[in-house]
Amino acid sequence: MNNSSDEPSNVAREPAGSVDPGFSTEDPGDDFRLVARAQQGDFGSYDVLVTRHRGRIFAMIRNMIHQEADAWDLSQEVFIKAWNALPRFEAKARFSTWLYRIAHNVVYDWTRKRKIESVGELNDEIFERERIDSASLTTPSGGESPDDSMVHGELRVKIETALGKLSPEHREVVLLKDVQGLSYKEIAEVMGCSLGTVMSRLYYARQKLQTLLKDEYESR
Amino acid sequence: MNTNPDEAKLAMWLDDELQGEELVALEAWAASQPEHVAAREEVRRWRKLVTSALPATEEPPYPEFFNGRVARAIRGQVAEPAVAGRRRFAWQSLFMPLAACAGMVLAFWMGTKTQAGPPEVVVAGAPRAIPVEPVVYTPERGVKADWFASAKASATVIVLSGLTAIPDATDFSKTAALHEEREIDATAEFKLERNDGAGL
Repeated sequence: MNNSSDEPSNVAREPAGSVDPGFSTEDPGDDFRLVARAQQGDFGSYDVLVTRHRGRIFAMIRNMIHQEADAWDLSQEVFIKAWNALPRFEAKARFSTWLYRIAHNVVYDWTRKRKIESVGELNDEIFERERIDSASLTTPSGGESPDDSMVHGELRVKIETALGKLSPEHREVVLLKDVQGLSYKEIAEVMGCSLGTVMSRLYYARQKLQTLLKDEYESR
Repeated sequence: MNTNPDEAKLAMWLDDELQGEELVALEAWAASQPEHVAAREEVRRWRKLVTSALPATEEPPYPEFFNGRVARAIRGQVAEPAVAGRRRFAWQSLFMPLAACAGMVLAFWMGTKTQAGPPEVVVAGAPRAIPVEPVVYTPERGVKADWFASAKASATVIVLSGLTAIPDATDFSKTAALHEEREIDATAEFKLERNDGAGL
């Protein structure tokens, strides 16, 4: 959904102190109220929305591309595009679902650009890990440093490695459903596909992950 | 529910998405379907495993800086309309180089007209310019210098006559600057002198 550039941008105003600090971080109703203010140019309200949703968007993108620095940049891009497209946001879907949709496009645009730029260079495409022998000693670890592995735990590393072996579509559907907790309908909106496609992708992605994580799965 | 549910409804039930009457109906149907109940438990177990390892939310590094950069980028975009407003005068950006080119051509044309100098005016009774042969002077009296120029050979030769002959005994080595091989390293030279003089 790269339709944010063809309509006039939202205009930022500084509304110091206009945002109620008592907004719940989970209540979608609060999101709608903040969105309504932001649509009128209240940048303070939008800043609250960024704070409320940056964690989910960053986690989603980071799990998709396995690169923290790029995930940081891309997450910002999501919020900048969302601001530009805010005048067109309607309260038909949750604000978070709408953000996931923008994140989906940002990540796929970035991946496409990387593929074009890497033509003729060493192929380090992150979405082609499934082609690498999982028993290989040089299998990429998904950008995890040893320190990160210590912090995030062994299971996380195993699941991330297994996710890295899925296709981008299968990985995304698992992350949206099993990690972010979106419904089938919301995932279909985010990924721009039918409900049946989401169900099918999720079924096969789970099957493959459970096979890849068989030892881990059976021990629990 | 006596008949089997469609796949979409079954998938939603497996993922605990069904609510209300639909859920009640499917639960009634699943009571006699132990394999589907087991499949739902499997999905629940899987979700528990994944969510225990991968957090749904993860604060980006330097969160305040994160918000600050978003804000700066948005404010930068807000400043753009002013730039766009100036772009409306695009004809100016086209006109300026054209005017500059026209000015340059005019200046060049005027230059070609003025470079030839003012037209020669003949003044009645004034002497006409006479071409003068170049004169070569020598520093010694009685020495005559003749010069020959050849445009074809791009060379000018000056012949001096009346010079006194140079004696054969003249030592040119005293007048010429001859390059001598010298030791650059002064320390080495000093050491050599000490060895010779003091017998060290």
